Amino acid sequence: MMPSHFFYLLPEIWVGALALLILLLDLRWKGRGHTKLGLMAAIGLLPVLPLLCMQRQLDTLELLHGMYRIDSAALLFKGIFIITSLLVILMTREISKTPAAAQQAHGEFYLLILSATLGMMFVASAADFLMLFIALELITISFYVMTAYLKTDLRSLEAGIKYLILGSIASACFLYGVAFVYGSSGSIRFVEIRQFLQETPFSAGCLFGLFLILGGILFKTAGVPFQLWTPDVYEGAPTSVTAFLSVGSKSAGFLVALRVFHELFISSSADWAPVLVWVAGLTILYGNLGAIPQKNIKRLLGYSSIGHAGYLLIGLACPSSLGSTAMVFYLAGYLVTNLAVFLVVTVFSSHTGSDEIKNYAGLSKRSPLLAMVMFIALLSLAGVPPLAGFIGKFMLLLGALSQGHLTLAIIGAVAVVISLYYYLIVVKVMYVDRAEDSSPVPVSLPMRLALLFCLLGILGIGIWQEPFLSLSFAAVKGLF
Amino acid sequence: MIPLQELLILSGVLFAIGLIGAITRRNIIMILLSLEILLAAVNLAFVAFSYSLGDLAGQVVVFFVMIVAAAEVTVGLAIAVVLVRQFNKTEADDLRILRW
Repeated sequence: MMPSHFFYLLPEIWVGALALLILLLDLRWKGRGHTKLGLMAAIGLLPVLPLLCMQRQLDTLELLHGMYRIDSAALLFKGIFIITSLLVILMTREISKTPAAAQQAHGEFYLLILSATLGMMFVASAADFLMLFIALELITISFYVMTAYLKTDLRSLEAGIKYLILGSIASACFLYGVAFVYGSSGSIRFVEIRQFLQETPFSAGCLFGLFLILGGILFKTAGVPFQLWTPDVYEGAPTSVTAFLSVGSKSAGFLVALRVFHELFISSSADWAPVLVWVAGLTILYGNLGAIPQKNIKRLLGYSSIGHAGYLLIGLACPSSLGSTAMVFYLAGYLVTNLAVFLVVTVFSSHTGSDEIKNYAGLSKRSPLLAMVMFIALLSLAGVPPLAGFIGKFMLLLGALSQGHLTLAIIGAVAVVISLYYYLIVVKVMYVDRAEDSSPVPVSLPMRLALLFCLLGILGIGIWQEPFLSLSFAAVKGLF
Repeated sequence: MIPLQELLILSGVLFAIGLIGAITRRNIIMILLSLEILLAAVNLAFVAFSYSLGDLAGQVVVFFVMIVAAAEVTVGLAIAVVLVRQFNKTEADDLRILRW
């Protein structure tokens, strides 16, 4: 028997109900039980993962009159979002336990994390532009509130208002683009737009719309020329929100990019691919060169995340299954690696209250575990074999070469060397420099487990790539 | 009947006004107003296309956009209120701790 549509919507219903439950309990407990609520939110997300596995199937399934669909790409990305938000919830719990933050810690923060996660799940399955827009806004508006959450910290408020203003401009651009695509093709449904584009020659209205949509996507994924907000927001926002932005929001942006460019507009790839090649090259250079002089670890990671967005854009600029497989694989590796780095930053800053790189001096003595995870994760971010970041970068550069973009591949390879330089400065500070304060940094049990998970992920994806590669390949196969 | 081109030109002009306003204005409230103009331009484009195509989907989108715009501005105003209450700041130029 075919399982009912209800079964396929169950993960979303579950996450939505969990969010509402958290809100109610927070009101009931008058904001006192936030550590309990954090644990509940994390445990509550766990059953979604087996549910997603049970939904695996070969064909694309359309629900809700074609507004919603379940395919392997959607399921894989939903899994990615759930794991990310689980780790982010654990980080938030860790931060809210520190005395400084406990004053402002409210259970509603978990509600915002869950609503952003719900938005990401909707993005993964959206099958028309209306659904996609609402889902994107659900993510972004949750992020505006989370970024500006520390009401007594001017940096957090500044980051929040900057993100809000630029984000609203970007979503207006995106929507204006959708209006033109709708006007030219006569539909907002993905299936009909794709069919229309295959049958008719590419019109100027469609091209204009596509570039406005690209602007909105580049904002979400932090690509040149819409990357300026990234370092400011990353530095000002609470650390767990920065982690969520750099992994969850970025993956959602790239999923939208895959859907729009590799699925809808694949038939006109000759028109947009050259632009994306330029954007990718400039983004890589901007991120990696900007990271060199940074003193604050969150700002450094902001620039490095722009650099990684550039690598992912290479995959987007290669309209082939190699390009998109590489993108998905790279995103999976980036997820575990970047979350590992942010876990270390979270533990360190909630113990010492500092995000400055110079204060990481002597971390290898103060907490060998944190220093080791940070070391491995930074090497993986730079793309050193045999860690997770290496294969993804290798495949993306291979994809660029296969499309004949030699310069882009060279820029990508040179940027690896630049990134090694600024990542290794952090490693040098941790292992060589002498600490002023040599008290040990304690790591709580949930953080230990999360660190272990990320470490296994980095090594697992790096060494035992085959299952992850075939998973990514299966995910993008449905797009073309 | 107003031709599609004229509606699109009006919407383009509105979009430009909103964009320039959001970038050049210094007061946070004025920036939020400019954002509203941006979304109004988008709505006009949707209605114009929907009208000329004879398809209702575009007009449905407009309702959703209005709601989303309201939610966005609510968050923006909330942040502005906190900025005024805690730090007595309403100008975007006052916010420049986070730099290079």
